[in-house]
Amino acid sequence: MNKTININLGGLPFVIDENAYTKLSAYLNTIQRHFSQSEGCEEILQDIEYRMAELFQEKLRSKPIISLQTLDEVIAVMGRPEEFGAEPISEPKEQPKQTYHYKSTNTQDHTIRTGKRLFRDPEDKKLGGVCSGIAAYLGIDDPLWVRIVFILLVIPGGFSVLPYFILWFVIPEARTSADKLAMKGEPINVENIARKVEEEINELSKSISDFSKDFGKKKNKF
Amino acid sequence: MNLENTKAQMRKGVLELCILAIVSEQEAYPSDIIETLKANKLIVVEGTLYPLLNRLKNAALLDYTWKESNAGPPRKYYIITDAGREFLESLQETWSELNEAVNQSTINLKQHEQNN
Repeated sequence: MNKTININLGGLPFVIDENAYTKLSAYLNTIQRHFSQSEGCEEILQDIEYRMAELFQEKLRSKPIISLQTLDEVIAVMGRPEEFGAEPISEPKEQPKQTYHYKSTNTQDHTIRTGKRLFRDPEDKKLGGVCSGIAAYLGIDDPLWVRIVFILLVIPGGFSVLPYFILWFVIPEARTSADKLAMKGEPINVENIARKVEEEINELSKSISDFSKDFGKKKNKF
Repeated sequence: MNLENTKAQMRKGVLELCILAIVSEQEAYPSDIIETLKANKLIVVEGTLYPLLNRLKNAALLDYTWKESNAGPPRKYYIITDAGREFLESLQETWSELNEAVNQSTINLKQHEQNN
């Protein structure tokens, strides 16, 4: 079962499945963003909507509703904006740079600078998220190793307890999606932020369903 | 050097010429233009055409009129302007020169193939 939505695409009425609707809006938004710098963005988008409406008409003949499959077929015909390849050749290509290599003039040393910043990771923490933040900064997959080092330093006389709390106090927590991307050194752009937000929503709905399961179990006990 | 990229750049260069040529024959509806271009493998995805048509229109090389259609809303038909015709002629000249030049440059390759 799927909810359906009524839409007006290029002056034609369509009934579309809810999941297909979400994808269609995302697709049209990507196109709009792609052409937002060019003159006549609105018109290009309108033309594309007209053409998509026409393609839907051709494909739907007997079926009353646009399904995800029909939409995928039409998107395959239209192509993704990065496949359009119609930008003027002189236009500079935007490519997010993940790492900057620069050569220090005095020492001939190579320093690799990433766009990374040190944050505390609130999603993976035992205490304050200091260790997982450091692990993300150093590119260590599992924060466990950083935690082990910290704990080993505690044993010979409480050496790292105070520094831990100082770090907790000094390092900011990664609150926004942009912070979390910077924490992992991923380029901050619209696509990545959107992906991050989506991940967070999934995470949230998962924990809500976990919670309701737990709640259900507890209720059964009584 | 990416082969697909190079091919795409080559097609991109002649696409404007081809669109102008198609529209110059008779006023054209984008879907008709798409069909001709697709049949000749000049475009891979349809989305390529719309930003190009828009640029040609903004450069006053093309213009369009709305026409009623039997099936659905009015359609946009593209027509070539006088400036567009001049532009097309000039592009065509360059194309024949280029065609000649490319043939001349690759003529040795062809002879080589024949010898094999």
